[in-house]
Amino acid sequence: MEETSQMKRGKWWHRWMLTPRELHERGVVGLNMRNARYLLPNNPRRLYRLVDDKLQTKALAEREGLSVPETYAVIRTPRDAARLEQKLSGHEAFVIKPACGSGGKGVLVIDGRDEQGRFIKPSGAALTPDEVRHHVANILAGLFSLSGQRDCAIAEYRVRPSKVLTDISYQGAPDIRIVMLHGYPVMAMLRAATRESDGRANLHQGALGIGIDLATGRTIRAVHHGNPLLIHPDMEVGLIGIQLPQWNKILDIAVTCQEMTGLGYLGVDIMIDETLGPLMIEVNARPGLAIQLANGVGLLRRLEPVVKQHTRHPGFGHAEKIAFSQSHFGA
Amino acid sequence: MNTRSKLIVAVVGLLLLGGGVAAYKVFRLGMPFWKGEQVHDWQIEARVSFLATGRAVKARLALPAAAVEQQSGQESGSLGYHYHIERELGEYTAVWAAEQREDGQSLYYRVRLPESTRSGGEPVPAAAVPVAGNPGLTGALAQAANSVVTRAKSLTQDPDSLFVVIFDQIRSGESSQEHVLLKSHYQKEFGQNAMIQLGIDLLELAGVPARIAYGVRLEEDSGRHPPVPLVEYHDGAYWKVRDPLDPGAVLDGRDLFVWHRGGGPLLDVTGGEGSQVVFTVAKERLPMSSLSDLRESPFLVSTILGLPLSERAVFRYIVLIPLGAFVVVLMRNIIGISTLGTFMPVLLALALLEIPLARGLIMFAVLIGAGLWFRFLLSRLNLLVVPRVAACVVIVTLLMMLMSVLSYRLGMSGGVQITLFPMIIIAWTIERMSLIWEEEGKQSALTQVAGSLVVAVLAFLFMKIGQIQYWAFYFPELLLVLLAGILLIGRYTGYRLSELFRFKTFADT
Repeated sequence: MEETSQMKRGKWWHRWMLTPRELHERGVVGLNMRNARYLLPNNPRRLYRLVDDKLQTKALAEREGLSVPETYAVIRTPRDAARLEQKLSGHEAFVIKPACGSGGKGVLVIDGRDEQGRFIKPSGAALTPDEVRHHVANILAGLFSLSGQRDCAIAEYRVRPSKVLTDISYQGAPDIRIVMLHGYPVMAMLRAATRESDGRANLHQGALGIGIDLATGRTIRAVHHGNPLLIHPDMEVGLIGIQLPQWNKILDIAVTCQEMTGLGYLGVDIMIDETLGPLMIEVNARPGLAIQLANGVGLLRRLEPVVKQHTRHPGFGHAEKIAFSQSHFGA
Repeated sequence: MNTRSKLIVAVVGLLLLGGGVAAYKVFRLGMPFWKGEQVHDWQIEARVSFLATGRAVKARLALPAAAVEQQSGQESGSLGYHYHIERELGEYTAVWAAEQREDGQSLYYRVRLPESTRSGGEPVPAAAVPVAGNPGLTGALAQAANSVVTRAKSLTQDPDSLFVVIFDQIRSGESSQEHVLLKSHYQKEFGQNAMIQLGIDLLELAGVPARIAYGVRLEEDSGRHPPVPLVEYHDGAYWKVRDPLDPGAVLDGRDLFVWHRGGGPLLDVTGGEGSQVVFTVAKERLPMSSLSDLRESPFLVSTILGLPLSERAVFRYIVLIPLGAFVVVLMRNIIGISTLGTFMPVLLALALLEIPLARGLIMFAVLIGAGLWFRFLLSRLNLLVVPRVAACVVIVTLLMMLMSVLSYRLGMSGGVQITLFPMIIIAWTIERMSLIWEEEGKQSALTQVAGSLVVAVLAFLFMKIGQIQYWAFYFPELLLVLLAGILLIGRYTGYRLSELFRFKTFADT
């Protein structure tokens, strides 16, 4: 039934593809357009290192008074790596990640320890201290860094996501991605892990992309591998209409991130901690395009008004930008 | 000027420059634009090299009379040497002379021959009837040689047949006592050309005057190779040249060119040590006239035709790399195929040019598969990154050796071109693939490898087109046109083909 009604509305080829013209009508932005029109002109090369190195981003954010996960230790040398256990002795749960990693590569989440002193991952798997040190050594050797050069590892606070979010995520902690142009939030989504994605919030691996109404912070649509769905495949809870806490503060953090990095086009990743509230996790200078699928809206629909607004009022401040986005880009 | 008009200026400029030079070459110099089916000529380059000892140097290289007399585009390269061609009794010799030279020296002589069935080894009448010499063997050796000759002569008296009989016996590893004795003696005495010298001496003993001659094998891909030793013998009326490895056949001018006959030395260097001559052969598709025009044209520097042949041979592959890169750009930015490493497919495609396609792909698949398996074994050892990749290189190298031995045992001739397969790249590919495997799952890893393979095969098919190779080599300025194309793709902001499928769910919105 559903299929026939779908067939009636669309053309026969819509089951497999859309023509370039149809995509353009819907305002969908492709990779080439993102790179040529938004990334290259607005993100000068020299600013990339601010966000590609998470240590620098965190330092910047702290200077601006943004809350970020507390850094427990920075591991720069193999000597540091050897003393890893001492450095982390006071902390049950922590996250180890490469300072210059991308796309969640090399992120190791530890929830606690067992009696034998092994580290427990959220999935329940146990790692020996040796295995953790090896992971750190890999990070130092640059295995996960963007250009393969030597890197350092950050051990930091493991975010305890607020209950609203753990309800819709299988194991992993969901994060919020906000894409911004010239400091205007243009689109937002929540990334929630599934059993298939193995606790990771990576859409390629089968995590859910959940679109968020910029005006209210309520979820409006969810996709799994690009296909819309209403219920979490593993948790069997509804995904639509969930109100995210402290939405205005989240938007505020995102805009501050744009101001402190100076990047024109960027994505800001934020997690909501149960007790600490929204924490800025990282800034991405090359945000992906899956956010369009999660929201069911082409990015161009939002980017073009922002460009117009920005040329008309280049001096708009923080609050004015948020107000514009919330009034124009609501669901 | 905004970026857009800058781009247009750059593209138009490149098109005009590249297209203009190409048009000049076609219309003013008469270079054929299409590869066509025209017969090609052979360019043969002799490279004489030796270590000069600090005194006056004189090098003499015997030249093929046929080529010199035809006036067919010959030239020599030798900085600081006085060069001339000496003619004596219908034989030609290139002579280079210089004062006080030290260290390694190399001299070039290049000649151009039309493709023909004539090899230069045709029968020629002798000025005076030669007399067979005596190789001067003594004792047991003389007895052995005599009995071999007597047996051969009992089979036939005809010089042509004697030649065939004697060299067939030598070649087939005849194991009679006499042959074993003679062979071991000649091996000690003459080394490399022992078997040919043995045959010549046996022919002389049988009363057939014989001497050594030298030829060049007309194979484009064999790189630098030493002269091929041949045998010239007198059948009572004519001197004839034949290949001792194929004694029954008359020389085919399409495979072999007789560079030097007449018995004199091929190369004679005074004032130098360790002299040797090697030959490089290349096909030349441009007509003689346009080639000499081109050499005198201001574009000399822009063309690779002025380089020594051996260097030119390298460029045959180098000019193809941009074409492969272009295919990669096309596949990634217009089609949207994701590959492992940006230019890995180009290197793979270059390797495929040397190996039959199916075998190359099987090899790649086996290497990647086995390498991945080893990589997962290695990951249990918790090695650091660089040692792990190095370990992978070792494993890949051993696997390749194993594969070439296996393919040889299985009777797949031609062997496996080991050097050309980009081993380091394969090791990195394995490393990255195993990472993606762990981080993003096997499906992602496999699609990226499959994408790389598809792009590599497409790049290979593109680089394989004869017309494309011809343009890249003879009209390298057309690479500027390619560059203009790449610049345009670099500013293409439309959708990639894969995105039409990726965003299909937008149909409902």
